[in-house]
Amino acid sequence: MSATSQAAALPLPRARRSRPGSVLFTLAKRRALLTSRTPRQILVPLLGPALLALILAPALQKATGGLHTHINYTAFVGVGAVGLVIPLSSVFAGLSVLVDRHAGAQRELLAAPIRRAYLVLGNMLVALVLAALQASVVVGLSALRGGVFHITGTGVAWFVAATLVFTVFMYALAETVASRVTKEEDYVGATPVLAILPFFFAGALFPISALPGGLADVAKAMPLTHALALMRYGFIDPSGHGLHDIWGMSNVTVEAWLSLAVVAIYAVALTLIAVRVFTRSAVK
Amino acid sequence: MPEIEVHDLRKTYPGDVEALKGIEFEVEPGEVFGLLGPNGAGKSTTIGILTTTVKPSGGTARLGGYDVVAQPLQARSVSSVVFQEAVVDGPLTGRQNLELHARLWGVDAGRAARRIEELVRTLDISELIDRRVDGYSGGQRRRVEIARALVSQPQVLFLDEPTVGLDPRIRQELLDVIAGLRAQEDVTILVTTHYLDEAERLADRVAIVHQGQFVALDTPRALLAGLGDQVLEFRAGSDPEAALQALRANGTAGADAFALGARVTVPLHGGPAATLEAIESERLRASEIVVRAPTLDDVYIQLTGTRFGESPGHKSNGTRSGEGDPTQN
Repeated sequence: MSATSQAAALPLPRARRSRPGSVLFTLAKRRALLTSRTPRQILVPLLGPALLALILAPALQKATGGLHTHINYTAFVGVGAVGLVIPLSSVFAGLSVLVDRHAGAQRELLAAPIRRAYLVLGNMLVALVLAALQASVVVGLSALRGGVFHITGTGVAWFVAATLVFTVFMYALAETVASRVTKEEDYVGATPVLAILPFFFAGALFPISALPGGLADVAKAMPLTHALALMRYGFIDPSGHGLHDIWGMSNVTVEAWLSLAVVAIYAVALTLIAVRVFTRSAVK
Repeated sequence: MPEIEVHDLRKTYPGDVEALKGIEFEVEPGEVFGLLGPNGAGKSTTIGILTTTVKPSGGTARLGGYDVVAQPLQARSVSSVVFQEAVVDGPLTGRQNLELHARLWGVDAGRAARRIEELVRTLDISELIDRRVDGYSGGQRRRVEIARALVSQPQVLFLDEPTVGLDPRIRQELLDVIAGLRAQEDVTILVTTHYLDEAERLADRVAIVHQGQFVALDTPRALLAGLGDQVLEFRAGSDPEAALQALRANGTAGADAFALGARVTVPLHGGPAATLEAIESERLRASEIVVRAPTLDDVYIQLTGTRFGESPGHKSNGTRSGEGDPTQN
């Protein structure tokens, strides 16, 4: 189509535009308001991981005697449960994209004078806050049940960085799937694969060194494995056993940065894909 | 400068489904323009292209001078839409929905608050505005959606089948509201509808859309005038087409007469006496004879050979006439 070559001689009215920060804040506020009115979106993803931290972890510690290292197994599984709550929370958040499309204001948002990528990013901001809160609750419950954590400023930074970057990856994955499927049933059907399957391979309940060689290699390619190793490095394992299992290097700080880079690469790639898939699905 | 300019607009969906076959129109500032046609005629595709959610296959479209393909953000910034179906955040209040629209359309908070109060009064929604939208009735929701679309004071307002699904009383109330907007808002309106009376009541000009093409574009008065002051309609016996041909041969029915199903409609450019005499003399076994004012339904049948809401497969045996250049005023 022709663009501006045939523009009228009269000057056009100046189109009103919102600043990107204001747009993102508005969209995130909308999502937060909607989420706050559906408490199940906050509570349901917490249920399984909370039980894992409260009941399963102490029971397994007692039954098996733990990891036979200096690492406290209850805390080990407590952090592992964060690797379940983030995917579940993100997948639930992705479901709201389908609700928006079928029964919400998505068409109104698509008609707004804003870049459509912001619709993905605004939702993602709320998913990040929610995941951070849920991760805090799971770690807190684990501590209440006897999990031993070594909290330092640097450790918290590693934990928070891993949590946030991994949540970006998971939410982008959920948004991508939500933009591709047409029916909520199909999306719900994909939930076990997206949110639960990786949990069994990524060293959530045991170190990946306990896996057979082939499966350990698969685990090393998964962002969840890197994220969990980073979270444990931050909170319960300053010597970085999990990171050594992945990288086999002598410098744990380098290993941590490498793992963070891996999760970040996944997060950026999936975010770009999510934005592209959403914007393409928005236009017929 | 027209607020809406559409030239040779085409859309073909996957599977070679031609939704638009090159439509052409312009809407002047302050005008209410109606797109009238049955479901599947191409109305919603036209709105989709103008609101940048459907990508055209060819042609150009501009809103407020902005090309909808090359300058989509600018085009969206000068327009608002009231969608056919519920497009609203049910768990939020009406006010929150309006505030959200205002922020996304770049209206600052103070101005938005004043504007919302103004619209609450205009649209009489003060009882609703602070309640959750998912508790509204269909008509209440429509009012709030119209208010939302107007918060940003758009140059162009799209109303996509605004009264569909509403009960008759609420529908009439809403039509009053929409008709009243013209007096109170400096806005150009494009309204799509499959209700003939709605187009007649609201629109300054109407384009009749049939299978992705305009078959007529004019003022409702001019479209009706093409059929004269009155039409005579009757149920023909076994062969309506033969009855129509007999009246034509007799000279009492012109090329604009048509038959659809068992009924024959004859525009009367004089009185009904000659036609009634012809029915008698030709022994047409006519029943249910009525003389009435023409409607846009007659215009539509005459131009397309089908009644509103019929699929093309149900095409009548009617004679189509007046097929010159339908897009010319």
